[in-house]
Amino acid sequence: MKNGKRKYHNTLRSWLCLSPSLVIIGLIVVFPIVYTAYISLTNMNVYHWFNFEIIGLDNYAKALTVFDGGFLQALALTVLWTAVNMVFQLVIAFFMASLLNIQKLRFRRVYKTVLMFPWAMPGYVSILLWKNGMFNSQFGLLNQWLGKIGLDPVRWLANDAVAFAACLVVNLWLALPFMIMIMDGAMQSVDRAYYESALLDGAGWFRRSVSLTIPAIRPIIAPAVVITLFTTFKQFDVIYLLTQQVGAKTGANIHTVLTYAYENAFVTSNYGYSSAISMCIFILLIAFTLIYNAKGGKRRVEND
Amino acid sequence: MKRTFVAVVAALMITTPLSACSGNAANGGQPNINGGSEPVKLTIWHDKEDAVVAALQAELDKLKPDIIVTLEKKNGLTEALKMVGNDPKAAPDMYFFAHDKLGVYAEMGILTPITEFVSAETLGGFLPMTTQAAMYKGEIYQLPIYFETLLFMYNRALMPDSSVPTTTEGLLAFMKDVTGGGQYGFVEQHSTAYYSAGWIHGFGGEIISNDGVPQLNGDKTVAALEYHLKFARLMTGESEYATVNTLFKEGKAAATIGGPWLVPTAREAGIDLGLAKMPVINETGLPIAPYSGVQGLHVLKVSAGNPEKNTAIKKVLNQLCNTDIGAAMASASGCAPAFTACYELESVKTDDMVMMMSEVAENAVPMPNIPEMDVMWNVASNMLVDINMRKADVRASADKAQKQAEDLIKSMK
Amino acid sequence: MWKTIERIGLILLNALFIVICFAVLVPILYAFSVSLNASNSILGSDFSFIPKQFTLANYRAVIMDHPVLLWFGNTLILAVSSVVISLFAAIPAAYSLSRFHFKGRIKILNAMTLLYSFPAILSMFAIYKLLSPMGLINTKLGLVVVYIGTMAVFGALNLKGYFDSVPAEIEEAANIDGANAWQTVAQILLPLAKPAVIVTGVMVLIYVWNEYIYAITFMTGSSNYTLAAGLYSLQATEMSGSWPVFAAASIIVSVPVLVIFFLTQKHMTSGLTAGGVKG
Repeated sequence: MKNGKRKYHNTLRSWLCLSPSLVIIGLIVVFPIVYTAYISLTNMNVYHWFNFEIIGLDNYAKALTVFDGGFLQALALTVLWTAVNMVFQLVIAFFMASLLNIQKLRFRRVYKTVLMFPWAMPGYVSILLWKNGMFNSQFGLLNQWLGKIGLDPVRWLANDAVAFAACLVVNLWLALPFMIMIMDGAMQSVDRAYYESALLDGAGWFRRSVSLTIPAIRPIIAPAVVITLFTTFKQFDVIYLLTQQVGAKTGANIHTVLTYAYENAFVTSNYGYSSAISMCIFILLIAFTLIYNAKGGKRRVEND
Repeated sequence: MKRTFVAVVAALMITTPLSACSGNAANGGQPNINGGSEPVKLTIWHDKEDAVVAALQAELDKLKPDIIVTLEKKNGLTEALKMVGNDPKAAPDMYFFAHDKLGVYAEMGILTPITEFVSAETLGGFLPMTTQAAMYKGEIYQLPIYFETLLFMYNRALMPDSSVPTTTEGLLAFMKDVTGGGQYGFVEQHSTAYYSAGWIHGFGGEIISNDGVPQLNGDKTVAALEYHLKFARLMTGESEYATVNTLFKEGKAAATIGGPWLVPTAREAGIDLGLAKMPVINETGLPIAPYSGVQGLHVLKVSAGNPEKNTAIKKVLNQLCNTDIGAAMASASGCAPAFTACYELESVKTDDMVMMMSEVAENAVPMPNIPEMDVMWNVASNMLVDINMRKADVRASADKAQKQAEDLIKSMK
Repeated sequence: MWKTIERIGLILLNALFIVICFAVLVPILYAFSVSLNASNSILGSDFSFIPKQFTLANYRAVIMDHPVLLWFGNTLILAVSSVVISLFAAIPAAYSLSRFHFKGRIKILNAMTLLYSFPAILSMFAIYKLLSPMGLINTKLGLVVVYIGTMAVFGALNLKGYFDSVPAEIEEAANIDGANAWQTVAQILLPLAKPAVIVTGVMVLIYVWNEYIYAITFMTGSSNYTLAAGLYSLQATEMSGSWPVFAAASIIVSVPVLVIFFLTQKHMTSGLTAGGVKG
């Protein structure tokens, strides 16, 4: 107990304090998982919507057929998507927060408010704006600007690599406000002296960031980063609405685990089968996390 | 001042007979079945535009005070129905939607055939195509109100009436002539199943057979896809509605195939709009035959089982088995009525859009209503994207899509 | 000399921020400009940020043709009750996780984080099955339950991080003075952690404000919509809708969030600070 916290042993009181949260989490977060697990063992589908019965692990056997080459490719892309997004988010948010913490920056609050703007709109609105306003190859702003400097229009969402980059940009645009806020807050908790001349003392700033700032803010931002990591892995709207929506497909063929599962299972309205696939993805993610935790856990022990 | 006076008088002259008539329908001699007790309240879910809803509401208000019908707009109606379909606390009594989902709901067991409420004789008054579309496994699950099909539209400023192509080869020649420099001869949502289906049908192919077997790699379908590719290459790269419709509305595309919903906005945008018959495909001699959608009322089982509501639903449905609602919707939103006798009305006969739609509908193919169709939209669209946008081999893409469709249908069960 | 370099540096920094802010705002400025434009099109081959035919008709259309005030009221009721209940659940939970080192504490923390990895795409049905027997479908209470449940994990973890940074010695001093645990939390910890509480509240608020999937699925009839659900129903689709009106509605929906954000911003930045009070 290096920080001298008093140790309470009143277990009853702890659980009492936790109970409201645990009850509501149990209802809204845990119950759907349990229910999905249950449904995954049944034959609930269009033909047995209300009169379904337990059929054992058949759905899981069938789910294995979805985990084919296409699924593995989607899994690889999802890992890449998550990694690239997280790296960009953390790096950009770190730089932005560092710059926002320069003491002599007077209009800090104005900049911060403006930077939070993407957060103030429902996600699908922003995605529609990007798709139709920015990326549309006929009328989008990007191509109008290209046209003004005499370049040919680009079909931003048609080519796989370019579309991936476009999805990345939109996801960063949506997610960065949250991350910048978290980083900015965390940085204010470490000693101000670190930032005094950040702008001018480039090399020193970099070394200090690595050796002091980052270790200092890491425990503070950890929950937010882990949550963002999962959200990014599960991100469906950005890729689906930008490139895959039925009736508005753009030609790109980029699939994450979830969009792949959607096109190859969820569209069948076979709820038992779709539930089995959801459970498999869930188990996969838990496995990832446990492996990561096993590594990270060691470090945590050393720190304590 | 004088003009206002004339307008008021004219309005009075028009509405007086109407209101007299409707008053008659509401109270005219019929005994109040509930004997003055509480009115029966019915809820109908829909996702339609305001003009259509207002026309339907006005018609059903004639059943007041015995029956009070509330039309509730429901976003995500199709998914919500799957969830609440058999829950008397949350489900509506009826819903107003296209016919293509009724197979799914019938299979789930949440629908009651409308033949329980409307006699076969009365149903005979509807266009056979519309009641046919509502038939699933021998039962009719929808009371048809109106139908819609895609239409061939052109901009008279860019395509004079005299040069409107009657054949697809004529269209192709026109496209080659005109397309370039930001202008297009013809655009459509080339890589979506709904729009391409017309070309596939024109070749005698289909997306899925009536008994639920995908037909994506049938020879006729592949021939259609290959032929259609020639046209798709001369269209814009984007395939979604916003781009296609905007090109047409801005006068950058001379012609398009679009839904009736495009007509008012195109006219608003100042386009001198012409409607024409679908071009005939030279190779087969058949016109492009798009899907048709029949919009109408479906009755949920939970309400049909309630005797009081059952009687009320019967009255509601029978209230819609005449020319009134069809005529009202035609004038409100250019909907093509499902009730045959509507086409003898002057107001309907003189509506060029409604008449064109009923003409196209003679060749149109009602969207399949079988549950298997649910998975076809996405598979077929992916196939079209592969062919038209990713330059994949037609036959190979069709084979791949066929396999995927078969797998998906297998995993529905 | 040094001063001059510093001044130039600051000017460059401000210029950089202005460029970044503009880049961030481009899609929103686009929507704003579309909403002020008279012609019915988001797409136009010759777009300029300054509308060619300026009009407020789209804003009028949103406000006059749709029960926006009603939607605003619904959203406000949902948001305020979600925020209040969330905080009442999260504060004791976070306090417990931060201060009581009881058995299973680490396990609970790990489990809470892991729950986030469940792909909730199918959860809707389960939640319906849960709420329907309680008669909570098509009620505001039902939505509030869903919202506080969704935000509960984040709320507890976020507050716990801050509580960790408030040295326990301060509370112990209060305990010696005879205050009980509740008084300590209410009088010592919460005032110190006030910014974090506000931040957590604002996060719940933004979530509720922008949430539409549950709102459109569980609520029926336009008068029960929230702003985000109403906006969703205005969405310009193939069959209906007008882009400028939709754009205007998007702006209208986001303005209250921005105002709240600006007002609480000072607290938000320091609120996420874990070590605000040096131990």
